[in-house]
Amino acid sequence: MPSDPLSQRSPLAHQVGFEEIEHTADWALRVHGRNLRELLLNAARGMNSLMASNLDNIPLDVEQQVELEAIDAESLLVDWLNELAYWAEIEGLIFREFELDHVIQTGLRATVRGGQVSHFTKHIKAVTYHNLDILETETGLEATVVFDV
Amino acid sequence: MVSSHDFKQIDKFLYEVPQSYRPDMRVPARFYADPELLDGALGDKSLEQLVNTTTLPGAIKYTLAMPDIHQGYGFPIGGVVATKLPDGVISPGGVGYDINCGVRLLGTHIYRDEVDPHLSDLASVLYANCPSGVGKGGSIRLKIGQLERLIEQGARWALKQGYATEADLERTEERGCIEGADAGKVSERAKKRGNGQIGTLGAGNHFIEVDVVDEVFEETAAERMGLAPGRLAVQIHCGSRGFGHQVCTDYVKRFQKTIKQYGIELPDRELVCAPLGSPEGQDYLAAMKAAANYAFVNRQVLTHHIRRSFEQALAGRVKNHQVFQVYDIAHNMAKVEEHEIDGRQVKVCVHRKGATRAFGPGSPVLPGVYRDIGQPVLVPGSMGTASWVLLGTEGSMAQTFGSTCHGAGRTMSRSKAKKTIWGGDLREELESRGIHVRAGSMPGLAEEAPAAYKDVDRVVDVVHGAGIAKKVARLVPIAVVKG
Repeated sequence: MPSDPLSQRSPLAHQVGFEEIEHTADWALRVHGRNLRELLLNAARGMNSLMASNLDNIPLDVEQQVELEAIDAESLLVDWLNELAYWAEIEGLIFREFELDHVIQTGLRATVRGGQVSHFTKHIKAVTYHNLDILETETGLEATVVFDV
Repeated sequence: MVSSHDFKQIDKFLYEVPQSYRPDMRVPARFYADPELLDGALGDKSLEQLVNTTTLPGAIKYTLAMPDIHQGYGFPIGGVVATKLPDGVISPGGVGYDINCGVRLLGTHIYRDEVDPHLSDLASVLYANCPSGVGKGGSIRLKIGQLERLIEQGARWALKQGYATEADLERTEERGCIEGADAGKVSERAKKRGNGQIGTLGAGNHFIEVDVVDEVFEETAAERMGLAPGRLAVQIHCGSRGFGHQVCTDYVKRFQKTIKQYGIELPDRELVCAPLGSPEGQDYLAAMKAAANYAFVNRQVLTHHIRRSFEQALAGRVKNHQVFQVYDIAHNMAKVEEHEIDGRQVKVCVHRKGATRAFGPGSPVLPGVYRDIGQPVLVPGSMGTASWVLLGTEGSMAQTFGSTCHGAGRTMSRSKAKKTIWGGDLREELESRGIHVRAGSMPGLAEEAPAAYKDVDRVVDVVHGAGIAKKVARLVPIAVVKG
């Protein structure tokens, strides 16, 4: 286990890294990661899995740079997902490859790649802060994210 | 989690969690329920969320939940919180992302037997003319200046463009325009999200439904509204689409930064807030009003599409295919209102999150046609079940800051509904009961199955029994359009 999970870099995880959990009105995901970078990646993948199926078939013909600043790691996670949800709604884009070049608790710089999706399975209205805490666990970090759908 | 030992029953349908339950509570928390609905509320975190709302600075008297309460994020759905001006707070999460999500009810002169042979056509034409579902845009694209006029003028903009009649505005909450909306307080992203979505339903629990008036309980009121047994009515349930979602997202983010300067501590970051008198609070209020106006226009343009559809499917086939407005009311909103609290008139900001304004007879803000009977309250049921038309009462003014329930309220998670119910089977079952279904997504249909919701008749029995609304008419569905 890294001594300071929030500041460590590590290769992309190949495990799923997220799971759906029960929520009466909306959708919620429990997301895991060995560090903040991996938590952000897995959260993005988890949200993608709500928005569309057959994610591997999405083309990789659109590339964008993303730069975010936030007041803390939880806000960074919400902003990151909201950024991706925004592009899904405005341009019909789902990004499925992520190069997170620079990640600290209060900001990130990333290159994201993906393409247009003709059929969305779910519309994410917004990503909420409801009971949002990034917790340190024995294996790294864990957060539960509630989406307004 | 709040358990049955933590609250007391103070009336047949009313329970209270005392302020002593948790040290951070500023006022007690009250909720309306019968024994079965109470069991349901104890099954998720909704009562804990209700208790959390009592920690908001300026919360006055008590915070409330209606019998359709269920777990949300921050506030529970069905929550009502009044905060005292000027130091009390406004919380964007207490309004929700779908600002001015609400219901519009349209009346007709058409009887069930007249429409039966043409009902399938009508359902298909409604589905074709009213864009619905994830990513479905509308036909109206505006230049940025035009969009800014739309959000500042609300339904008046729709009237000028030919999408509304004067009578529609008369029978809309606030005449479809909340004064004080400021396009300058709305981000470019919100405008961009909203621009392509005017006159669209969206997905989730939003719908257009053709109903038949099944039973009338208050004849004078029903007659005033143009509702009679056997006649068709149409409900529209939707809100401010991506425009409102972005306004809420922007201000929840901004308030995360500014809350520290006001020394406010809260048990859940989604409750984030700002004093109503602060620059941040005023900015949010102006942006929220803009989103509210967008939603009024959205439902108005859909009304225009519904009128076109009735003409297309029924002109020459029924005696009179005209559609008129009964009322339009929000159920996700914060409004500055005056209420009598402990014998004094007090200016408060009433947050209604999945709760409907329910002003009683004599309220000066009601249109002339309804002033002496009270405000129409529109309570859609779950898909395939009844919906209700109610009236605000003196009881709602005295007990609930002029508020009542907004729907059936979920009881099963979306993921469980999707796992246990097959959309195709549900559609078949509804069709076998004579309900025409036009839906873009079968999994989406399954998420909204009646089994995922409480019994709306039971919810309405509670608000009627508690005196915070009065039954006028019960509607049953014959056609449903969903994304």
